[in-house]
Amino acid sequence: MSQPDVLHQAFELGFTYTRSTGPVVGRFLTELKQRNIVGIKGSDGRVIVPPMEYDPDTAEELSEFVDVGQEGEIVSYAWVKEPREAHPFDKPFAWAMILLDGADVPMIHCVAADSEDAVSTGARVKAVWAEETIGFITDIRCFERV
Amino acid sequence: MANLAAVVGTGQTSYTTKRGDVSIAGLVREAAVNALNDAELTWDDIDAVIVGKAPDMFEGVIMPEIYLTDALGCNGKPMLRVHTAGSVGGSTALVAASHVQSGTFKRVLTVAFEKQSESNAMWALSNPQPFSTHLNAGAGGYFAPIIREYMRRSEAPYDVGIKVAVKDRLHGARNPLAHLQKPDITMKEVEESFMLWDPIRFLESCPSSDGACAMVIANEELAEQAPRPPAWIRGVAMRSEPTMYAGREEVNPQAGRDCAADVYKQAGIKDPRKDLDVAEVYVPFSWYEPMWLENLGFAPEGEGWKLTMEGATSLDEGGDIPWNPSGGVLSSNPIGASGMIRFAEAARQVRGDAGDHQVEGAKLALGHAYGGGAQFFAMWVVGSEKG
Repeated sequence: MSQPDVLHQAFELGFTYTRSTGPVVGRFLTELKQRNIVGIKGSDGRVIVPPMEYDPDTAEELSEFVDVGQEGEIVSYAWVKEPREAHPFDKPFAWAMILLDGADVPMIHCVAADSEDAVSTGARVKAVWAEETIGFITDIRCFERV
Repeated sequence: MANLAAVVGTGQTSYTTKRGDVSIAGLVREAAVNALNDAELTWDDIDAVIVGKAPDMFEGVIMPEIYLTDALGCNGKPMLRVHTAGSVGGSTALVAASHVQSGTFKRVLTVAFEKQSESNAMWALSNPQPFSTHLNAGAGGYFAPIIREYMRRSEAPYDVGIKVAVKDRLHGARNPLAHLQKPDITMKEVEESFMLWDPIRFLESCPSSDGACAMVIANEELAEQAPRPPAWIRGVAMRSEPTMYAGREEVNPQAGRDCAADVYKQAGIKDPRKDLDVAEVYVPFSWYEPMWLENLGFAPEGEGWKLTMEGATSLDEGGDIPWNPSGGVLSSNPIGASGMIRFAEAARQVRGDAGDHQVEGAKLALGHAYGGGAQFFAMWVVGSEKG
């Protein structure tokens, strides 16, 4: 018995959307444009960076913004040996969880370093700003060792 | 036999073209907080959260329930998402109610929303498919031929839809939350508005709105302790049928008739026009009022338009069975929320909480939603008494 041909066709679907960031994430991004990093104080006093609209424990609306430092400490990291096109660098770099000074929750960003040896847990890093800041997370171009 | 459950709080945002000041989470949160405040409760009093919205492709947020858990106080609680296209607001309320009626939870929060200003609902509901010509019709293009067929069968006068468009906007002008505020609208203005999908004119169509609606549903014991009058849930029903079958009765869908018969039976309703005091029915295009008047048994087949033309469904004309005193979908349409708004507005009526659009002495109300290609139906009957 012969197998019938099953028809198939490439199918592409795309739509355009917009987003409103709201008063909390919007404030964080606006501050980035001014080369400043803000967190928000949670119900238990912890400073969360990037800020969240609602407390992760109590669900209360959060509104107490706190400036945090532009330097911090690497809590954990992953070295990217072979960067791909979508990555922020075309040479090896690290993704890291960085606990900024004054923050209680680490933030993920990229760390530029010449080699994996230069990155370690507990290492001090500082933010490097993009030449032009536009209110986007990539306004922080990367972190690098202090 | 299900346990008794009741609406003990409702909350809505106001409806508008664009809420650029809030995120999607902020919008949803606003309705939820309003419902908690109305019930005089806090997040800790809620056992589970049931959330609904229109298809993900509308706003392009895939699985928004993941993103909304903190905004809706779901930490450590069950959270469920319901999907039934445009009827989702109604189905979501019914899923929430069933969790209380079954005894699974004592008190649940249910929320539905849509931020149309950030979405692409018009085209996302009319996807191209492989091996098919792209219909490219949008909702109006889909429903216009069905309306034409209703007009042909019923021999209704051409201006029935125009009358509904005026009536619902006059109702909406009584409701401060309604998106369209057109207290001076006239038949002439509607008739002269441009034809979008013949026979549906611009002013015979719903607007595109941002907004959210929420309710707190509690069991009998907690509802009796509630600070404001509960809206007792007297009947709940959902029905579905396939959209794409060409032989389907689309003008007067069987699933809608069956759903209505089921919910009326539970609520002890024999003659809906006489037994109900008010109805909030999903009418996104004007002609769906006479069509659903027949589908829901308020008028014999072919005669729904007579009730509309007599003013029976108009609050302003002192009609005996006001439909959509809130202004309905024709005055506000955050798609995913629109069904829940119907259900919440029915509850507001029997709680005596509907302000300037209150139907005086309303004791029994119908909330209705439909979705897909008029393939999903969700209805509830709520009352000021347990029944």
